[in-house]
This record gives sequence, structure tokens and C-alpha cells, in this order.
Amino acid sequence: MKLFLLQTRSEIKRIFRNPYFVFWSLFMPLVFYFVFTNVFNTDMPDQGLWDAHFLMSIAAFSVMGSSIMTLGIRLVEERTQGWSIYLSTTPLPPAAYFASKMAGQSAVHVFSILFIFFAGYLINGVRLSPAEWVLGGVWILLASLPFLALGVLIGAMRRVDTASGVSNLIYLGLAITGGMWMPMEVLPEMLQAVGKWLPAYSYGNGAWEIIRGHAPEWRDMAILTAYLLLFMALAILIRNRQEAMRT
Amino acid sequence: MEPVLNVDRITKRFKGMTAVDGVSFSVGRGEVAAILGPNGTGKSTTMHMLLGLLKPDGGSAELFGNAPGSKEARERIGVMLQDVSLMDAMKVREVLELIRGYYRNPMPLRDLLRLTGLSEEDLKKRAEKLSGGQKRRVSFALALAGDPDLLFFDEPTVGMDVGARARFWTTVKDLAAQGKTVIFSTHYLQEADDVASRILLFNRGRLIADGSPAQVKGQLLRKTVSFKLPDKVSAERLRSLPNVLSMDLGMERIELVTDDTDRLLYALVTADIGASDITIGQGRLEDAFTELTRTEEGVV
Repeated sequence: MKLFLLQTRSEIKRIFRNPYFVFWSLFMPLVFYFVFTNVFNTDMPDQGLWDAHFLMSIAAFSVMGSSIMTLGIRLVEERTQGWSIYLSTTPLPPAAYFASKMAGQSAVHVFSILFIFFAGYLINGVRLSPAEWVLGGVWILLASLPFLALGVLIGAMRRVDTASGVSNLIYLGLAITGGMWMPMEVLPEMLQAVGKWLPAYSYGNGAWEIIRGHAPEWRDMAILTAYLLLFMALAILIRNRQEAMRT
Repeated sequence: MEPVLNVDRITKRFKGMTAVDGVSFSVGRGEVAAILGPNGTGKSTTMHMLLGLLKPDGGSAELFGNAPGSKEARERIGVMLQDVSLMDAMKVREVLELIRGYYRNPMPLRDLLRLTGLSEEDLKKRAEKLSGGQKRRVSFALALAGDPDLLFFDEPTVGMDVGARARFWTTVKDLAAQGKTVIFSTHYLQEADDVASRILLFNRGRLIADGSPAQVKGQLLRKTVSFKLPDKVSAERLRSLPNVLSMDLGMERIELVTDDTDRLLYALVTADIGASDITIGQGRLEDAFTELTRTEEGVV
């Protein structure tokens, strides 16, 4: 446990010192938020609701991105540069290594969520009930688990270039088809149909329901759980196969 | 001698090629053992198996009676591998404190600085901003962080300048004097000879010699006895002398290669064939090393 906490603390420090993280997970979502609520989409029927809706989208977008990319690419980097090989000769248990990566990432997400919510409060004067703020934030934090698992899965890739290309593609694909940039209704019907079965839509939809005063739908929870199990199973399978290759 | 490491017929194959072939040896407390051999001869593979990074296809190894890679073994070893970049975005002090935190009885930070030659200034730097030499020192400090009983260094001095090298080996000898056991790989015979109390000579995945540097060198060396003769004595007569391995009948001098100069010399003198201007040659060790690994290649 002590090892896990030590390791987690280091991971948090490292993420904040990573300029890519600060740019892509904090700065860019804010720019998107500002542009999409104040430059485009300014004639929404209920501007207040749209501002809150899009705030949830963009917070989810930020957390999803850093789960997939920051975590995944870092895992690949540490393996290709020999660091994780060195670590496996130390008493640090491999499970603690992965767990602290995910925990550190989640701790950073708490910060990202607070940061983005606060920006929404300031920029657009988004007003929600305290319960909605808290529940929205907790949902975005907890429901990011499938994306963390996806990050670990990407972390199994051999090359940093591949991992960063693939994760970018998945990230942007999920964000668009999940209605995180613009409402799902704007998308072609076929994309909507597919998007509803991808994890990003369910992720966003939980938060969108919360700020409308509803509980997240069971369907969304079921889909997210299914993806979590799928990504975890794949990650474990691939990791075991890579272990076997080394024998 | 308390055995720290026991290796029993360890074998590793990659895609049908045998990289390490039934290697057995054991290393005792306080020894500095060099795994010596040309490149691509199974040194790193052996070390990786001892660290639990590779699983052997046959045979086994024990570190303090524990399997390689087990938690018990990992608690007591320190490792410096080739081509390990340090964790980025962390200051040297932070990385050292983190790794020290993994162990029950870590080495105090000031001891790490003293042993590795890192300065307080270096501690404040980010790992990615260090020079090559500083990085090696940090790697060395990471290997020592847990105050381990057994140290593994894979080609430790590659990329070190002469001063850093000398300093490194002085520290290693001090550590061994304190009862720590050191196993390092190198492809420089000179380095193994200078530093190690024990040489494990590898070639083509097999352990072909194991002993003190003097013993291994004795096995490697081509000792010669050369002399002049007043008249032509038949080659047969020379061949009947004891301990002659081969002979070279030159115009001026005759050179006999032997595994025992004392006996040959005695026999040569008592044979009374008028040998004069007798010299004994020890041969050059580096030549012998190259020679041996070359002939071994021919055999396989």
C-alpha cells in the first residue's frame, strides 16, 4: 500500500509536468468550450441548458482524452525505454505499477473536472444545483474507467508512434460519434445509430441526464460496464501473450 | 563460502537457436564475478534469466534460495541494465526517493551520493536534462538504492570515460569488501582481469571456463618455449618431449607451445640436444582471448 501511494504521487507530479497534458486536457477543452458556446451555437433555444450541456461534454471529452492518450502513450514509452523493465527487477509489484498509473490519472482528472467546471461557471455563468455539480463530476470521474482500460490496452502497443496515432484516431472518433462536440442529432443518422453503441455517447449521456435533473440511464451504465470488461479482458489477454513471448 | 547465486544447467532458446546452453555455476558472498565473452554470446540472456526478465527453457537458478523474479529475490538485488532511460519529468532526487521507498532498508541518500559521485546539484535536475555520464551515475545509484546484497551490472562501463570507469570499479571493489556480491558482464578481458575475483567465460552460449582470473588466463594462454639448436634434430625427437602441444620449426628458432613450461624446460635441458638461448613466452592475453573465441566458433 505504501508503495502504491508513493508511486501514485509520482505519477500525479509527472502528469502535471507534461506539457502535452496541460495543453490537450486543460487548455484545448477550454478553447473548444468557449468557441462552441460563444461563437457558434449562440442561437440555441435554451442557451443556459446548452451551456451546461456542453460543459459536461467538454469535461468528459478532456477526461476521456487523458485516459486514453496520456496513460496509453506513457505506458508504451516506459516499456520501449526500458524503464518498466528496470522496475520489474525492483520489489514494486506489477499490479501496483498499473494501479498507481490509473489512480494517479484519476486524481489528475478530479483536478481537470474542477478546473473545467469552474471555467464554465466563470465564462458562461453556468449555474447548477450543488447536487448536479457534484454528481456530474463524480459521474465523469467514475465512468471514465472504460477509457482508462482502453488506455492500458493502447499501452500494450510496441511503438510510441503507433500508439499515439491510434489513440488520437480513437479519441477524436469517439468524441465526434459520442456527441461531445456537437449534439448527436446533428450527425448523419447512420453515425448516430453506431455512435449510440460506442462508449463515448453513454459516457456523455450520463452527465447530460444529471444536469437535466435525471439519473443516468441503466442502458448507459450497462454499455460502459460492458466496454470496461471488454477492454480489461483484452488488455490482460494481450499482456499475458506478451509475457509468454518472452519465455 | 555462503552461496548467493546458484545456476543449474540453465538453457534458453530463441526460435530454435540455443542462446544459452546448459550453463551451471554458483557465486558466493563477496565475490565479484565477471561474465566475460564476445558480443552475442549469451551474457545478457543469462543475466536476464537471473533477474526473472526471461524464463529459461531448461534448468533453473536460485538467488538466496529464491526463484529469479520472486519478491524475495527482488528485495535483495540491485540492477543496472543497458539502455534504460530514466523516468522523465522527475527530478533525480524524486526518482531516487521513489525507488528507495520500494525497499525495506534503503541506503541513505548521502551514501548514494558518496558512492556514485552524484552531487547535490545533480539531485535538483530533471532526469531528461542529464548528460550521459550523469545518467550512468543515477542508474548506479538506482541499483544501490535498496542497499542490496547482490548487484547485477550489464555492461556497466559502456559509455563511461576513463575517470568514471576507474571510479566505478573502485566503488564496486569497496562494496564487495563490505560483503556485497557483484555480477557484471563485459566483453573486455582486461576489465574482467582487473576487477573480478572470478571469471565466467562464455562463448556461443556455453560456459567454457570458470575460475579466478589467473586460472582462466592460464587456460587461455599459449605458453611457449623457444630456443636455437646447433644442428637439425629431427622433429620426431622434439615431439617426444613432454607437454608439447604444437611446434613451429623456424629457420632461426624453434618454438614449442606447451601447457607446462616447467616440465618441458627440464626435459629439454636433460635431453642434451644443445638447445641454447632458451626463452619462455607467456603470449598475449588479448590474443589468446580472441584466438580462443575464434576456434570455439569453428567447432560449433
